[in-house]
Amino acid sequence: MELMKLEIVTPTGVIFDAEVKQVTLPGSEGEFGVLPKHATLVSLLDTGVIVINKADGSELAVAINSGYVKVDEEKTTCIVDGAVSLSGEDGDIAAALEEAKKLIKSTEASSSAIAAAVSKVEQIGKSY
Amino acid sequence: MANLKEIKRKIGSVKNTQKTTKAMKLVSSAKLKRTEELAKRSRVYAAKLTELLNEIAQKMHQNNVGGLDNIYFRDVVNPKVVDIVFITADKGLCGGFNAQTIKRVNQLIATYKAQDVKIRLRAVGRKGIDYYKFNNIDLNDQVIGLSAAPNFEQAAAFISDISAAYARGETDKIVLVHNGYVSMIAQEIREDQVLPIDASKLALNTVSTSELEVEPDDDDTLLEALVKRYVEYTMYYSLIDSLAAEHSARMQAMDAATTNAKQMVKELTVKYNKARQESITTELIEIISGVESMK
Repeated sequence: MELMKLEIVTPTGVIFDAEVKQVTLPGSEGEFGVLPKHATLVSLLDTGVIVINKADGSELAVAINSGYVKVDEEKTTCIVDGAVSLSGEDGDIAAALEEAKKLIKSTEASSSAIAAAVSKVEQIGKSY
Repeated sequence: MANLKEIKRKIGSVKNTQKTTKAMKLVSSAKLKRTEELAKRSRVYAAKLTELLNEIAQKMHQNNVGGLDNIYFRDVVNPKVVDIVFITADKGLCGGFNAQTIKRVNQLIATYKAQDVKIRLRAVGRKGIDYYKFNNIDLNDQVIGLSAAPNFEQAAAFISDISAAYARGETDKIVLVHNGYVSMIAQEIREDQVLPIDASKLALNTVSTSELEVEPDDDDTLLEALVKRYVEYTMYYSLIDSLAAEHSARMQAMDAATTNAKQMVKELTVKYNKARQESITTELIEIISGVESMK
């Protein structure tokens, strides 16, 4: 399967930079998936969860509050304000979940968007 | 001897000062390292954001016959109201760091005053606030504590008041002045025009590879959100930059102070030794003449 470059940048630094198979993003007009060779696109990102399908087949979820994404044929760049990685790798998943929920609730997004994002986070939490 | 004792006391006090300045230098250099790291990481974000803004602006530029026509990008020829935001430190003991910024702000005020422009001052940092309060110059807005510990939310809240005023048309131009970090031994005054964004700085004529699709479909919504973020980030980045410069300035100042103290101790020690020898000589003469007189 083809791969593309994905970069997630926050004000405190680059938190993700690797080759991925696919990424699902919470666009302001609805969730959308990006595969390699996607047409150039710029979109606002809403409060939600970015799901990354990594090159080795595993999935990684990152909760974000808001931001932008710039997609072109080779590369996807997410510029987000705040992000919490929901991976079980480094330590406490429960703490990460709590932090993600806090991050989501701190935004000015509509209550339905917050509820949707929180339920998604909880769903991911259950899968661990 | 009273004189001897006094010199000794002075040496002790200078030595103590030297200890303090040396410690402050060490603290500053440690803090500088941390701030530098922070600046390095956030520079990536700033670069990406500018890149994105660039592309959107470019798209609007291509689609618009008359070039960019947006309140965030227009050219101000005769501004009526200008907001000056400036960043100083909360603490002193960092050489001319704060004085330089204030000097530049005063220059700006003088230039705009000559053009009959109304100025609104917005200060970050205790030193700048104190200076203008002392001189009875009104400040429109002031924050203490933000320049010592830059925090994105707080910085964003501070600047978004101003950019909201800009969007409402209350001000025509926002200028940000701060003392920026160049290297361990150098700082440089930076004066940035925050809004309107200087279109000449954006590379508008590069050719994009494919048609840019935008979501939401309305360019203005996206641009507005992006500009808001850009402004907030410029503020935040300036705060970090200023903090790094503050630490490097303090490091330098404290280094100089330590060297001066060392020099002073040396001079005082020489003086002390001379005074001691003098007193010994006097005593000897007294003893000898006493013995002579008894003969």
